[in-house]
Amino acid sequence: MIKLSTLAVRNIKRNFKRYVMYFFSLCFSVFTAYTFFALMENELVSNAFTYDDRYRALLLAFGIIIMVFVMFFLISSNNSFIKARKKEISTYSLFGMTNRKIGRLLFMETMIVGLTALALGIGIGIFFSKLIAMILLDISLASFTGDIEFSIAFKAIYITGIIFLAIFCVMGLSGLRVINKFELVDLFKADKVSEGNSRGSITALALSLLLIGTGYYLASIKNYFLVVAAIPILVLVISGTYLFFWGGLPRVLHLIKKNKGRHYRDVNLISISMFTHKIKTIASTMATIAVLSAVATTAIATGFTLYSSIEKNTYDTNGYDMYFYGGQEEVLDYIYKAFEKHNVRIIDEYTTQRYKCSPEVEPIVVEGRELTFGQDNYFRVYSESEYNRLISVSRSQLRPVYIKPGEAMFGYPGVINDLEDTIVGKLLSFSSDLTIEITSVTQKDILTFGAFYTLVLNDNDFNILNHSGDIIATDRNGDPLDRVTVFKYENPLKSGDLNADFIQILDGKTGSYRTAYNHYNESLETFGLICFIGFFMSGVFILMTASLLYFKQIMAAEEEQHQYKMLRKIGLSTEIEKRVITKRLFPVFLIPLLIGIIHSVFAMKAADTMIFSNMLPVDNSYIVVLSFSAVMYAAYALVYGIFYFITKGQYSRIVK
Amino acid sequence: MQILRVENVSKVYGSKKSSKQYMALKNISFDVNEGEFIGVMGPSGSGKTTLLNILGSIDKPTTGRLIMDHRDITGLSKDQLAVHRAKKIGFIFQDYNLLETMTLKENIILPLALAGYKTRVMENKLNSIAEDLGIKAILDKYPYEVSGGEQQRAAACRALITNPKLILADEPTGNLDSKSGKDLLELLTFINREYKATILMVTHDVFAASYCHKIMFIRDGEIYNELYAGDDKKQFFDSIIDVLSVLGGERI
Repeated sequence: MIKLSTLAVRNIKRNFKRYVMYFFSLCFSVFTAYTFFALMENELVSNAFTYDDRYRALLLAFGIIIMVFVMFFLISSNNSFIKARKKEISTYSLFGMTNRKIGRLLFMETMIVGLTALALGIGIGIFFSKLIAMILLDISLASFTGDIEFSIAFKAIYITGIIFLAIFCVMGLSGLRVINKFELVDLFKADKVSEGNSRGSITALALSLLLIGTGYYLASIKNYFLVVAAIPILVLVISGTYLFFWGGLPRVLHLIKKNKGRHYRDVNLISISMFTHKIKTIASTMATIAVLSAVATTAIATGFTLYSSIEKNTYDTNGYDMYFYGGQEEVLDYIYKAFEKHNVRIIDEYTTQRYKCSPEVEPIVVEGRELTFGQDNYFRVYSESEYNRLISVSRSQLRPVYIKPGEAMFGYPGVINDLEDTIVGKLLSFSSDLTIEITSVTQKDILTFGAFYTLVLNDNDFNILNHSGDIIATDRNGDPLDRVTVFKYENPLKSGDLNADFIQILDGKTGSYRTAYNHYNESLETFGLICFIGFFMSGVFILMTASLLYFKQIMAAEEEQHQYKMLRKIGLSTEIEKRVITKRLFPVFLIPLLIGIIHSVFAMKAADTMIFSNMLPVDNSYIVVLSFSAVMYAAYALVYGIFYFITKGQYSRIVK
Repeated sequence: MQILRVENVSKVYGSKKSSKQYMALKNISFDVNEGEFIGVMGPSGSGKTTLLNILGSIDKPTTGRLIMDHRDITGLSKDQLAVHRAKKIGFIFQDYNLLETMTLKENIILPLALAGYKTRVMENKLNSIAEDLGIKAILDKYPYEVSGGEQQRAAACRALITNPKLILADEPTGNLDSKSGKDLLELLTFINREYKATILMVTHDVFAASYCHKIMFIRDGEIYNELYAGDDKKQFFDSIIDVLSVLGGERI
């Protein structure tokens, strides 16, 4: 009598090829779980973050999302794994093993593989914990200089262990349910009957394209309800994707098969019909992979774009390495001393008076709402030469302007949507009979210094209006407006100590102050963490989905083995065989990836409308977003490509 | 005209050093002429299938030469053999060996598609053969949708479509009921007569063998006897049974 455990170990050895990818992806998800929990627990790391509660909440939220995904994924791949072993399991049953006992055998297998993966995943997690923490701090904090000590997070081990053991138990139960459904008689039935051939339907194809197309359209139009439309867009695109793989793709293949000239050429005949034959069994997997690839690539593309544009964004909103208004007499000496103390060279500085004006403006209606420029919404106003001098100190990408007499440039903050069409040509009337036309606008506004809108006038016009009292340097109480001082200095984003001194000097003694360092670091913390989490999430998604694809193809290889044998008998050379295998496997990997990336391109368009177009100081932010995303798509495709080659190698070996 | 010459072919299984060597074929020599319909009979384990595999270049002989179309094929590489098989030999197997992922039509034109024929040429060839073999109506069906007899007809069609020099049939009636078996044998006779196809058929079945012109009996890897068909089919049938009873094979 063979012991059940011996049998279990033997089964694992025999099924090693099938288990191996599953094992690695399981290891990686354990590793991810441990890493997240350990990072949450790590006081040193969380204290380094300014908003440590936000840091913990983000890690926890995404940790839960990943675990839920991992659970569903493991259960479904375990079930299809059991189904693939139907013959073997039925044979046990034939020799009198009860379902309970078979269930126990499979559970034992799951546990052996699972516990090994758990131990290995946690082991890797502990081994790399210091490195991972350092990486997180490096990408999230500009000037972290402390040292992270190597540590073993027992609480994290405990939590990870409990979670995965629970998942394994659910897997075992759900596996038992699958076994109970098996009919012994199936074992003796010929299994040559097609289980996956489908001609699809033209309606499904058309409908799926319509659903996806509508989703794409909604995502790409510039409307103000994009946030509200997000859910319908997701529903449309996801249902469209599944419908496409269930009914549309089979139809496309059927149409390809109808095109005899193409279909009968070379190895297409074999590859396409083999693929069509399996389409039903793999359609849901492919659709799921397409959707998950879309989510994963969008997540990393967004994270990476945000992360890569932090510096640009910093100067787009802040403009200067450092500025403050008010209190110059009191603080300037200290500022200079701080520069000297930290040995930082000042590249440029400038101090100037702030002016404001409140002219009469022709009514401007945007989205049914009138913009008002009253006492509260006054303009910060500059002469052309003042403006040009000020932006020369800035690190933003603004160019000097030339304003003709009687004209003005209108500046407004990026958070408002495009006003250019409505505002150009509007007239501003002042008390001194001077009428000025707005001829250009700028959204890259860094010179508001406390106001909401800015105006840049011709020098001469500025002087006239200043004399006439339209442009004033006093507030509504008649007190003089503060002067503003801007600085440009070396290594602003790396000079943490200098920045700390500035804050001490400026805080409470000036009207207001901003440093690029502060803004940069706050963004870095958030986006760095998002980027970090996005990387792990994509890692789990890609490994899980790719290993499922690998597994399905290995199963297919075992079924298709005899076909290759037969083909070889009728004269299939090894060179043609390679082509058959390539054409057989390539679409399985390419189609979901491609659809995932196309989805993501449109998702990025929506993200561009919602976030990036206001963040990135360029005319066509979508191009920039896409170029950043392309890097991530390429990385994702590369990982998928590696899986493709591993699968192809294994598939070729099996059918040999 | 002679199309195949088998010269002193032997096949040894098991490694040369090991004592567990097994000689499946011992110094077999014979010729096959164009238009012949040869049967190969013998008890289980006599080396029939080994012989067929070697003739079909699926397996390589340990010693000896195989000359087909004035060319020694024993020295060819694996890929050269594949090309040789595709061009010169048609196979019919006991379990049909049709690809279940393809329709009968696709199965039949597969050898031509792999050889890079034009669609129009393929369809012309297919149509005339399919009509002759009586499977035109079911061409668009999948193998699992038609009967065994029909599958075997399609397999015969596939073997024939490349105009091979030699058709090798391995127990083609083995999986068929007697009616379908008889139909198939008549089909092979038809192919042999009308298409001038040379056929070599391995079989257990005396009735199937009685359709051949010549029968080679194999025992323990050697040619034991040869028998030629006369005008009287009944007499041929009886003499096959006589040889087999002397041969003492089981499962006949």
